Amino acid sequence: MLQAMDLIAELEGVVGSDRVRAHPLDRRVFAKDSGVKTGPVAAVVFPESAEETARCVRIARNAGVPVVPRGAGTGLAGGAVPIEPSVLMVMTRMNRIVEVDEVSRSAWVGPGLINLDLSRDLASTGLHFAPDPSSQQSCTIGGNVGTNAGGPHCLAEGTTVAHILAIEMVTAEGDVVVVGGDHPDPVGLDLRAVVVGSEGTMGIVTRVLVKLTETPPAVRTLLIGFPTVEDAAATVSDVIASGLVPAALEMMDQAMVCAVENFVHAGYPTDAAAVLLAEVAGHGVGVAAEADMIARIAAGNHASTVRLAKDETERALLWKGRKSAFGAIAQSAPDYYLHDTVVPRTRLVEVLSKIYEIGERYGISLLNVFHAGDGNLHPLVSFDSAVPGELDRVLAAAEEMVRVSIEAGGSLSGEHGIGMEKRDLMGLVFGPDDLDAQARLREAFDADGVLNPGKILPEGSRCFDRAPTIGAAS
Amino acid sequence: MLRPGTHHRGGFVTTLDAATLRLLERLRPESLPPETGDVPVVAPRRIEEAAEVLAFAGDRGIVVGFIGGASRFDLGGRLEPDVWLSTSAMNRIVDHQVEDLTLVVQAGASVADVEALLADHGQSAILPEAPGSATVGGVVATGASGYRRLRYGPTRDRVLEVVLATGYGKVVRAGGRVVKNVTGYDLSRLAVGSMGALGLIGEVCLKLWPIPRGAATVRIDDPEGALAETYRPLAVLETEGGAAVYLTGTPEQVAAQSDELGGVAEPGHRWPDPIDTAMRFSVRVAPRHLAGAVRMILTAFPEAPLRAQHGVGELTFGLETCDPEDVVAVRHWAEGHGGAMVVLAAPPGSLPGVDPWGTPPVAHGLQVRVKEAFDPHRICNPGKLPGGL
Repeated sequence: MLQAMDLIAELEGVVGSDRVRAHPLDRRVFAKDSGVKTGPVAAVVFPESAEETARCVRIARNAGVPVVPRGAGTGLAGGAVPIEPSVLMVMTRMNRIVEVDEVSRSAWVGPGLINLDLSRDLASTGLHFAPDPSSQQSCTIGGNVGTNAGGPHCLAEGTTVAHILAIEMVTAEGDVVVVGGDHPDPVGLDLRAVVVGSEGTMGIVTRVLVKLTETPPAVRTLLIGFPTVEDAAATVSDVIASGLVPAALEMMDQAMVCAVENFVHAGYPTDAAAVLLAEVAGHGVGVAAEADMIARIAAGNHASTVRLAKDETERALLWKGRKSAFGAIAQSAPDYYLHDTVVPRTRLVEVLSKIYEIGERYGISLLNVFHAGDGNLHPLVSFDSAVPGELDRVLAAAEEMVRVSIEAGGSLSGEHGIGMEKRDLMGLVFGPDDLDAQARLREAFDADGVLNPGKILPEGSRCFDRAPTIGAAS
Repeated sequence: MLRPGTHHRGGFVTTLDAATLRLLERLRPESLPPETGDVPVVAPRRIEEAAEVLAFAGDRGIVVGFIGGASRFDLGGRLEPDVWLSTSAMNRIVDHQVEDLTLVVQAGASVADVEALLADHGQSAILPEAPGSATVGGVVATGASGYRRLRYGPTRDRVLEVVLATGYGKVVRAGGRVVKNVTGYDLSRLAVGSMGALGLIGEVCLKLWPIPRGAATVRIDDPEGALAETYRPLAVLETEGGAAVYLTGTPEQVAAQSDELGGVAEPGHRWPDPIDTAMRFSVRVAPRHLAGAVRMILTAFPEAPLRAQHGVGELTFGLETCDPEDVVAVRHWAEGHGGAMVVLAAPPGSLPGVDPWGTPPVAHGLQVRVKEAFDPHRICNPGKLPGGL
């Protein structure tokens, strides 16, 4: 077992002293992500290659210190927050677009590349990276892989896992391996699919082959105001049931609309109880008809205003309103707590009304902005953590909101991940045998708990009283 | 009638004792698939029964083969199990949420039946076209995708939840019945294409798509050019009989896109007939190499039926007989271009020395450990994965 100073010296031996940090301030900066929890940091390392990453993992492993990989730290579930003193492996320096294959529509990129930088860089090729989390101006592709990130346009395009073809990663043993491939259906078990969304517990992503998506030639964006939340939710259900698959279908309630409008002045209707931001994309002839259809469905559900973005500038402004939602909250309180659950789309109205009821009962300031088309709810609570007992109250309300989502046949998380935030709620959706199976899978990747231990699975998930080894069976 | 006796399979020596036979007799299917020969077949009615059989088999080292519609029976090589576990008695549609576009279905349900039911609602699970006897469980376990994957992605992108009877004899549920979910490790996607290595897939929840009203098939000469010029076609296919772009969307959009392509347009989608030769192969390369793969196959086997999916990178072709060395040469080409050549079907003994999959994946050690985690006794479809796993 290495002493702390020896560990840092060894890490410096790999990446140099300027890329290892252990000053108390650095430890504090990297002790948290964008959620509400903090954890202990032993050292912060900024590797620049898979080889460096692998050597650092081996050093930490030998020292008995866990390794926690991290991108931009925009996660909200505590996935990048260490639980015990750990080496934070910050991947942001590996941010190159290594190779673009326009014909195959794929690109090898570094894990530290910022999501939006990739799409911006590719703009002239007519291709883009489809996952677009609200944090896309700052979050990294490696982080997107770790959390299986979503975003508004995942309604039509699917979450990150549908856009990752292959992953080069450093294993818990410190080996560099590639899972997946550039061709369809690489042979063998699809390990790529489980590494995506594994929150750094199965490997440290050092390079990613992303699938690129054609940028649609035509887009129509509508902002629709409704007199009630129920009318907006009914429009969502009717649009999905009509056979239309919009590119995005986002909803905001009045509290959120007012906060956003005050912040970006996009002309959102602040007198509406709820607004829908709907987008259709594709061939020019198709989108015009689809936009008309959405407007008709909305009118049938008592829409009070329908605004069609007349050009790209107006469209960008409407989206700015949506994507600035979390920044806009800062006007009302210094902290916010953002939920992330999914319910069947047909039960949106029912679950939303229960969520409002919970908010009222706890006396908390509740705003809603979410991916309605996917049934992915994001109730947001603004609060002041300096007020004693306030965070506890917010967290207690959060757990109730999760429970009502699960009771409606929903899931714990749609895109933010489990991390440490929801780890102990996993038992709400999975039984002991389900959790044991997930723990077996994790063990196959990291038997010694080197990579981001204590995340996703609650303690005691693995039942050790079964399953003799292959040797014992024969 | 099942007979007690000693079986030698894949290094294991097993005994079908009286207790085993009582369990197996209880779950005998009404009809036996011809592919199973004289090997006992059991057909559990519930996934818990399948788990019971696997727990029982694990304790005794009995090798269990999984069978659905036997439409991809040869994939991964031919298995000689002690017992077949058939999904034929688990073939119900459990829940169809029409407005939410999700379907929960048991593994033994026929793909043709499921798609026919969904078509009545203007929906599809985008399962392979012309499925023959294929079951939903078989499609998921073999990771099969149809021609529409260019537009809708592979089957694995639509598997939301899986219920599995594991090799260690437990029932495990993974994923969830919602369209977007990152709750825990994604065992459902891992099960897709797992070839039964983890256990028997008993039930799945699939994400559905609405079928747009407009549909056309446009014959064209230059598939690569058409692919580059057309926004999101359903498929761009090339066969020995020519090439076509398959369009979908609103009727107005399909008409406009047909005009833009300038070829001969027919309404609807006429998919190529399945290849029915004795041997069938799949060449998988990055899409940029597909045109080269087509040229290579046409040169090597001018008479072979072929189905090339432009933009996807898969080409399947069929042969009645061949020199194994020619097949090895195709594999050499595919692997040399970073891809793979997989034997989809071949009569037993027809391709000596040709591995069904080719070179195992780079991260083979991880593959072994995952297999061991779910099938510690190595009784579930052993040897069906690359590297004899």
